[in-house]
Amino acid sequence: MTTIPARLASLTRTSGGPAESRKRALKLYRDWYRSAPEICGIYALSVSPAYVRHSIRQRFEKNRNVTDQRAIDVLLLKSRQDYQETMNCWKQIDHVMGILLQTQERPNKTFLERFYEGLGVDDNVFIGKDEKAVIPAASGI
Amino acid sequence: MSLLRICTSTASVSRRSAVQVIPQLSRGVTTEAAPTVVRKDEEKSGLGDIAVQPTRDVLVADVISGAPRELHHRSVRIYQPTRNTMQSGSGKSERWRIDFDTLAGAGRWENPLMGWASSGDYMQGTRMTFKSKEDAMHFAEKQGWDYYVQHATVKRIPPKNYAENYVYKPNTLRIMRTK
Repeated sequence: MTTIPARLASLTRTSGGPAESRKRALKLYRDWYRSAPEICGIYALSVSPAYVRHSIRQRFEKNRNVTDQRAIDVLLLKSRQDYQETMNCWKQIDHVMGILLQTQERPNKTFLERFYEGLGVDDNVFIGKDEKAVIPAASGI
Repeated sequence: MSLLRICTSTASVSRRSAVQVIPQLSRGVTTEAAPTVVRKDEEKSGLGDIAVQPTRDVLVADVISGAPRELHHRSVRIYQPTRNTMQSGSGKSERWRIDFDTLAGAGRWENPLMGWASSGDYMQGTRMTFKSKEDAMHFAEKQGWDYYVQHATVKRIPPKNYAENYVYKPNTLRIMRTK
């Protein structure tokens, strides 16, 4: 697949205010939303466009409460670059399925749930030490 | 000698005290951020003994960096490392370090077979070095870490004198005179 390198490229920009950054974010979201079927097509994904849209929506929702103008600009630029790389087919399937689409929240399962699944069971479980129960970086505040 | 005693006492006091610094920031990450307190009325009434620091505009680097959410509210320690006691030089002791506090659940265990020390905390071995305390504080603020600053120890070079070995001292027998 031949692509023009400058296709979908975007310049670094500074938003004038919240209204403008909101407009840019909506534009970006629409671009992602509309390109969901194409993403499924060019990467031959086994997921539906609805799932792609759902995942992308989650990415946007995660940063919904960001109010810092500089941070919004950086996020917009990064997502634009991501969009360009995705649509120009510069990614592998694993990048799309893993980094772009996979849920980022780790499921908070109990010890027994993991034990029944047989996942993550190692020697330490049998001696009563469950290191996966500790969420790193939760420092008890 | 009395001056020396004062020095040692201050050193021991400052070693014990770790002062919690409460930063006054405006991190615009969420809408639920606490509003900045205006203390102008206190200043007018003459009660404002506490110097009001102007709120600084701090970039929310944790949103941009893509760090996992669990990392956003770690508590870190900012301190000045002590001199390496095995060497006489005082190199690397002027810089300031950030390291991460141990987790509350202590995600550490000992490998049952080999006895290796393991940890579920991926930040436990990480430490960062800065040229000044302010740099380190600024970095921690940007990352959204709760930090506390440990006072730097007062450095004391004990007076050493060869003739002191032969001075008559009636009361105490001190084997190590230079300590």
